[in-house]
Amino acid sequence: MTKLTISQVSKIYADGTEALRGIQVTAGSGEIVAILGGSGCGKTTLLRLVAGLDQPSGGEIRLDEMLIAGTHPAISAVFQEPRLLPWLNVSGNIGFGGKRLTQAERQRRTAALLERIGLAAYGKRWPRDLSGGQQQRVAIARALIGHPGILLLDEPFSALDPFTRATQHNLVLDLWRELRPTILMVTHDVDEAVFLADRIVIMRPRPGRVHAMMGVDPPRPRDRLAPAFDLMKRRVMRAIDRSLAEEQPRQDSGPSNLSPWV
Amino acid sequence: MTRASRLVGWIIPLLLAAAWEATVRLGFASGRLMPPPSRLVETASALLRSGELQSDTLATLTRVVIGFAIGGALGTIFGMLNGASSLMRRLFDPSIQALRSIPSLAWVPIFILWMGIFETSKIALIAVGVFFPVYLGTLTAIQSVDRKLIEVGRVFGLSPLGIALRITWPAVMPIWIASLRSGLGLGFMFLVAAELMGASEGLGYLLTDGQQMGRADTILVAMIAFALLGKAADAVLVALSIPLLRWQDTARTRL
Repeated sequence: MTKLTISQVSKIYADGTEALRGIQVTAGSGEIVAILGGSGCGKTTLLRLVAGLDQPSGGEIRLDEMLIAGTHPAISAVFQEPRLLPWLNVSGNIGFGGKRLTQAERQRRTAALLERIGLAAYGKRWPRDLSGGQQQRVAIARALIGHPGILLLDEPFSALDPFTRATQHNLVLDLWRELRPTILMVTHDVDEAVFLADRIVIMRPRPGRVHAMMGVDPPRPRDRLAPAFDLMKRRVMRAIDRSLAEEQPRQDSGPSNLSPWV
Repeated sequence: MTRASRLVGWIIPLLLAAAWEATVRLGFASGRLMPPPSRLVETASALLRSGELQSDTLATLTRVVIGFAIGGALGTIFGMLNGASSLMRRLFDPSIQALRSIPSLAWVPIFILWMGIFETSKIALIAVGVFFPVYLGTLTAIQSVDRKLIEVGRVFGLSPLGIALRITWPAVMPIWIASLRSGLGLGFMFLVAAELMGASEGLGYLLTDGQQMGRADTILVAMIAFALLGKAADAVLVALSIPLLRWQDTARTRL
């Protein structure tokens, strides 16, 4: 269990593009925080900074109290695409995430995870033999085998059909309840954010900034059909509308932007 | 491929051979310049009995194996270095590309001058032939490794060496093996060039010998031996590479 603190993080690319400005986000131990925003608002950039794949131009990222720079053994990630290694079989791909484990432990956890993701019979198959949803489940297992303190999810469900996506959501929640990693996830799907997250951070673009933060009230397990769920979704969408309204000059805002912020 | 469909490829050559045999036997052609299959079999068995065909094949094979090993190793090493470092690439690649455009036969005189007419110059020539396709293949393969897979390695805590060994190397493997195969093919071409330029043994020598003696059958036997040797060498390479490429979708169909 690890607390993630992102403070005053900014990112300016070499070509001068300002991708992120003054990002301030914390995720408490074992909490699920969803970063919600349209494309181009820097959510993936932010995740890459936390993963250590890029360096922030300013600000700092801490795990508990420890300052991190670069990749860190306690931080694991699932990308937008499964990114399985095609030359390793399914078991090998899951085990790939458990580099620091002993071989026996790695095998034990691989077998257990294969069972958990419903692919117990697929350990010796190649990734290419799996469907997109199955591959993404393998990627989730690979990210969790090392019992990371922080799990980063970069829209891993966006390419899946709604049925598969719902299954995937439940799988992630189950594994989260069991292993309790702190999850920082990026999504543009309001329903997904409300279903999974404890807190939602809404970002807006050019440069990417935090627009609003809100707690998600409905208690777990959440029912997508419950009125409270709908209410929550509506609150989030209103906040998004406000962020869009702020983004554009007044005359461009549509009739739905009845925002007192403008 | 099933056994039956493999055999389909034999139909045309066997039909042609039978037709030619019949043409000569029935007296429609003398078969002096194009000896019938039966004569080729005779010549081949005579060469086998005297041990000449074996020793020539062995001599040729030895040259190819050594030349291939040297050229393949150097091509791989330079390909990897230039693929991994842009400084190395800017330093070496233009020169290598310039050398690549020199035709194979143009190397022969200078190699003979430098290394004499014996084995060294021949092996060097073969190595030159193998080097370029392997170098180019390795370089291109390394440059085209998916950056996203490299990131997976970084996120899961691999060192740069670990990334090279566990991600770059397997990713490069298919193109590298394909480049070894084309290197081997080119190596055989350079080999013939080397052996035609003066050798006392080897299949190339058998060719020259047949030409000087006016024996079309010897020439043809040597040519067939080349074909069989080249095909066998390629088959060995493919067989060795199959376990390494089992993961590949296309491996089964392409190789």
